[in-house]
Amino acid sequence: MSAKVLVLSGYGLNCEEETLFAFEHVGLTGSIRHINDLIYNPKELDDTQILVVPGGFSYGDDTGSGNAFAQKMRLSLWDHLKTFVERDTLTLGICNGCQILTNLGLVPAPDKNYGQRSVAVTHNLTARYQCRWVDLKVGASNSPWLSNINTMHIPVAHGEGRFMMEQETLDAIQNQIAFQYCHPEQSEGSPDSRGDSSASPQNDTIEPANNEFPFNPNGSMNDIAGITDQSGRVLALMPHPERGMFTWQRDDYDRLKDKAQRDGATLPEESDGMALFKNAAEYFEVAKRKRA
Amino acid sequence: MSRIQILSHEDDGRARQIEQALKAKGKPASVRVVDVYTSENTKAQSLEFVDSLTNPVTQMPLSCHPERSEGSHGVEGGPSSQAPQDDICDVDFDWALEIGYLPGVTDNVGHTASELLKLTCHPERSEGSHAIKPGDPSVAPLPQDDSTECYSARLLLIKGKVDKADIESLASELSNKLIQRASIKSHDAFTKDGGMETIIPKVVLDNKGAVADDIDLNVSDEELQIIGTQGIADADGTRRGPLGMSLLYMQAVKDYFAKEGRPAKDIELETLAQTWSEHCKHTIFASPIDDVKDGIFKHYIRRATVDIRKKRGKDDICVSVFSDDSGGIIFDDKHLITHKVETHNSPSALDPFGGSITGIVGVNRDCIAFGMGAKPVINIYGFCLADPRTKPEYYRDKAKTNAILSPETIMNGVVRGVEVGGNCSGIPTPQGFVYFDDRFVGKPLVFVGTVGLIPREINNKPSHEKGTNPGDKILMVGGRVGRDGIHGATFSSVVLDENSPATAVQIGDPITQKKFSDVIIKEIRDQGLYTAMTDNGAGGLSSSVGELAEGSGGFHIELDKVPLKYPGMAPWEIWISESQERMSIAVPPENTEKMIELFASRGVEATVIGEFTDTGRAHATWHGETVMDMDMDFLHGGLPETPLKTTYTQGGEAEPDLPEPKDYGQALKDMLGQPNICSKEFISTQYDHNVQGSAVLGPLQGPGRVYADASVTKPVLTSSKGVVLSQGLAPRYSDIDTGAMAAAALDMAVRNAVAAGANFHHLAILDNFCWCSSDDPERLGQLKRAAEAIYDLSVLYETPFISGKDSMFNDFKGYDADGAAVNISVPPTLLVSSIGVIPDVEQSISLAPKAPGDLIYILGETKNELGASEYYDMNGALGQNIPQINGAKNLELYKLYSQAARQNLIASALSISLGGLGVALAKKAIAGQMGMDVDLSGLDLRPDKLLFSESLGRVLVTVTPTNQKEFEKNFGDFAQKIGQTTSDNKLNINKILEVNINAIEEAYKAPLKDY
Repeated sequence: MSAKVLVLSGYGLNCEEETLFAFEHVGLTGSIRHINDLIYNPKELDDTQILVVPGGFSYGDDTGSGNAFAQKMRLSLWDHLKTFVERDTLTLGICNGCQILTNLGLVPAPDKNYGQRSVAVTHNLTARYQCRWVDLKVGASNSPWLSNINTMHIPVAHGEGRFMMEQETLDAIQNQIAFQYCHPEQSEGSPDSRGDSSASPQNDTIEPANNEFPFNPNGSMNDIAGITDQSGRVLALMPHPERGMFTWQRDDYDRLKDKAQRDGATLPEESDGMALFKNAAEYFEVAKRKRA
Repeated sequence: MSRIQILSHEDDGRARQIEQALKAKGKPASVRVVDVYTSENTKAQSLEFVDSLTNPVTQMPLSCHPERSEGSHGVEGGPSSQAPQDDICDVDFDWALEIGYLPGVTDNVGHTASELLKLTCHPERSEGSHAIKPGDPSVAPLPQDDSTECYSARLLLIKGKVDKADIESLASELSNKLIQRASIKSHDAFTKDGGMETIIPKVVLDNKGAVADDIDLNVSDEELQIIGTQGIADADGTRRGPLGMSLLYMQAVKDYFAKEGRPAKDIELETLAQTWSEHCKHTIFASPIDDVKDGIFKHYIRRATVDIRKKRGKDDICVSVFSDDSGGIIFDDKHLITHKVETHNSPSALDPFGGSITGIVGVNRDCIAFGMGAKPVINIYGFCLADPRTKPEYYRDKAKTNAILSPETIMNGVVRGVEVGGNCSGIPTPQGFVYFDDRFVGKPLVFVGTVGLIPREINNKPSHEKGTNPGDKILMVGGRVGRDGIHGATFSSVVLDENSPATAVQIGDPITQKKFSDVIIKEIRDQGLYTAMTDNGAGGLSSSVGELAEGSGGFHIELDKVPLKYPGMAPWEIWISESQERMSIAVPPENTEKMIELFASRGVEATVIGEFTDTGRAHATWHGETVMDMDMDFLHGGLPETPLKTTYTQGGEAEPDLPEPKDYGQALKDMLGQPNICSKEFISTQYDHNVQGSAVLGPLQGPGRVYADASVTKPVLTSSKGVVLSQGLAPRYSDIDTGAMAAAALDMAVRNAVAAGANFHHLAILDNFCWCSSDDPERLGQLKRAAEAIYDLSVLYETPFISGKDSMFNDFKGYDADGAAVNISVPPTLLVSSIGVIPDVEQSISLAPKAPGDLIYILGETKNELGASEYYDMNGALGQNIPQINGAKNLELYKLYSQAARQNLIASALSISLGGLGVALAKKAIAGQMGMDVDLSGLDLRPDKLLFSESLGRVLVTVTPTNQKEFEKNFGDFAQKIGQTTSDNKLNINKILEVNINAIEEAYKAPLKDY
């Protein structure tokens, strides 16, 4: 695989190491690039295939989460960014990165109108930071990031994760919803009975969170946890797949490993979050094969 | 002047929270949030800048009656591209409440706005701008001159049945008058005035103080004493703030300058006061005490470590102990882990948020400053507070004008400080505790700790070794210096009273720190460009430079080179200011330029402010003139010894004759609701505990989410090894016996970590003494007894101390509601923090039972030990039978346990501590959402004593039946089978109680769930 990954850093972004680790784990190569270095040498985007804005607290969330960092990127890099997302590339924003991509207007950008802010990711309804595990189901987006994913059990950690937009925007982006918060699988509405990771239920049997806390941890409109652009190649999501990519990272790891020990079974190394990164690797392998 | 107002959507999370708080008081109202930015720069009114601050989906910019303003409000006269704005008075509201910062207080939002102003209107000035290549010094942040400086405030527009008093009360809840201003206007006044005033909280200092004054020490002992306690007198007679120096110290200083044949300069006196402070020199721990000539630290704490290391020989896990900003032990073949726990008590009493955030980012720097620089990988916290549901009335002054902050305000503030500091820094916070006792009302204890990770070797040299060489330049990196935090070190060494200086309060800026932390740890460290580094904490530059200079043997500093937040500071202020987010780094001259460029390209300011020498002198100049020239030996070793004498009286009362509870189910529920036992989940969910992707066993365990007392983290994603952390403390035990208190704290910290799976032979500990009235021989006697106890126990367990800290005067002197003088001392408190290694995280053991039908065992012996227990406390008694440590027996058990953990014989484990076996059983049932059938008839005690005794050395475990044989063989007599888990939803203790899991879960979770 030859796709090159660039994970941004600087000004309080802080998940760049584990995020790059995820891409490297699935066989991609890449590097961490300080935003000032990219601004100095924006041509680096020309030979980059995957651009990642990781989680963190850029500018301490001052003036709105992700806002100041997005302004910096917009004012210093806009033409290069626009060219990048219009090429056959992938872009990922996780948590603070999600807030940055929405503030840049790279998502949802209905009508491919990149640059227009039409969605806000704002203060949680609880007005409290929320660090907890959530359950997600994949929405209607046909994003390559989401191939063969139905549900995910991964954590959120944010103070401003609430997607807000005009109703007409919501209507317009129905096919760009990547993830929605839902109840845990096989649940009776209790956060206590989480299924094990091997179960893969049908998407339509999953009960949506219906804006009920803590399943929807922030009061997000329509339970939205992540959106894409129209092409599906730009994905912005609030939960952290890189914190739920290995089984040992899971909040129910103690139960899963105990069960495996009792059953004499081996625990799978990987967990739900890894699928996202595998899809990125797969996308370029597939693309390469097509060209060949 | 510009004033920008951005109105948020009515459905705003921040507004909702305030509405809920008002509603809870029976004052329903609707709230709109307006973010306010002010600047002297007229370009701040430009469309580009206003746009960059406005999210068009949820916010809109507002004007405020420009036609009625007097030029200073609104956008009148602004550039032609000014933003179109709606009128703020069209918003329907009854009251306007604006909260902003006072001059000189760190305003992070304002700083970010300034950066946006530069980006939008002065792109050539912004960091990393197109035109400039990284490394170009011109990328460095400009001096924060008026033209780009912005200030933030928050305006709340409130509509509802509320009167001015309600708004005033809301203002006092939302702001702290020590650091913030709050202005209130009715709708009418607001309309009449054309809105709120445009306030530019710029610091303006006159230059009168900008020289170094001579101080005449040829004065009477009385006057020396006054200088020592109240500070140097200015020309107008006002005192500059406490030096915290005793007469004995002042006399030594007087003698020194008599020998030098000249008067002392103010800066020299201030330097000595900082360097010799209890906070920096730990004089009480260093002084001879009774017949212990080498003092408590050397004789008990350090000797324990020395003895253990000698005994362990090649199995020694210690690498760097007591000599650096953190302590370091081996993690694996390639890495060390470091740990340091700090307290930030006095500042947290005055500004809980500021106190705790500066605490956590400060201890992060202690990690960054370890050796060549360790990467912060875990934060921990601990708060000792008064119950937030109580409303005690105390004042700092007799006239009752200066009330202490309410326990609720303090709790909310300290919880939030660690949240913002830790979360913004990208460091997971998986572990902590909250302990409540009314005596923490005037002086809360705020513990913050950071674990670091560092390769064992960097550039083929041991990474923990550092030292300055003569000729190395002194590089100050990070934030600028202001008046904030002057006298922090001396202030924390004295009792809080009405004269406590407000300048001792600072607010942390975690993003500034994150920027330089990333450069140091991730970019510069491995290039070998510097020789030593330390953080600027208490005492500021005077401490950090003085400390680093011990390596080379002297320093020369040019104080006029130090970058300032605002002009007009005197040399002594610059030298001792504790402005946050700064490091001092020793850099060989040939590397300074490269370092400064690298920092600049990351938006970090770094400045050469002097150099290390071998002259043996502490030398400082101010615009070329010498203002300090002291002997290094005198600076560090000139403080006179103060021998201490102690007395000791055992505390406690007769054992109470309590009636047996009629309803044991209810008694258990009452116990679960005790503030020290109930869930603190509201804290855990606010603290990012899985950033860095390293969390294995988190703060809330099992499907029932029980607040755990140990955590497991995998700081190296590619290694199977994990770091196990825990803490132990039992402040109330001090009411009977501080020795038992200290031993209990140590045993809990060790046992909790071992129970979670840590290798007992790979475990180190840290001590944090938070004492009170340490000039009282009785308190010193209690201290000595505690130190003796932990020496004995740590040597027995072979768990070395690797770092520690003490805070000796946690007393509140003030007045009660009747104006009567009160002195409230915290219970003498020792926090022991443990850090251990688990060979494979797959061997970690959570507290939640895993499957019905598993066997329940209690390991260790339950005795009639309820003195100072939670149960006695709930019943208003103290008693006498304090839990006694049986170290030898525990040692044997923990070894066996560690062995069993390696073989995965234990399905779940919870160490039994406050609240005893009954509470532990309930917590396990809640965590596992699983019933339990228990029979305690094999234990011979009255049921309430049996359930709630706090005997040490016990662990409650569940075991899968297939492991029963091996488990019993491993533990022998230590294990007693007491029941099994079931698939129903009841905790049943045969002949004592039967309770529904939902009911005990409610009792456990309800008390603090609304915070």
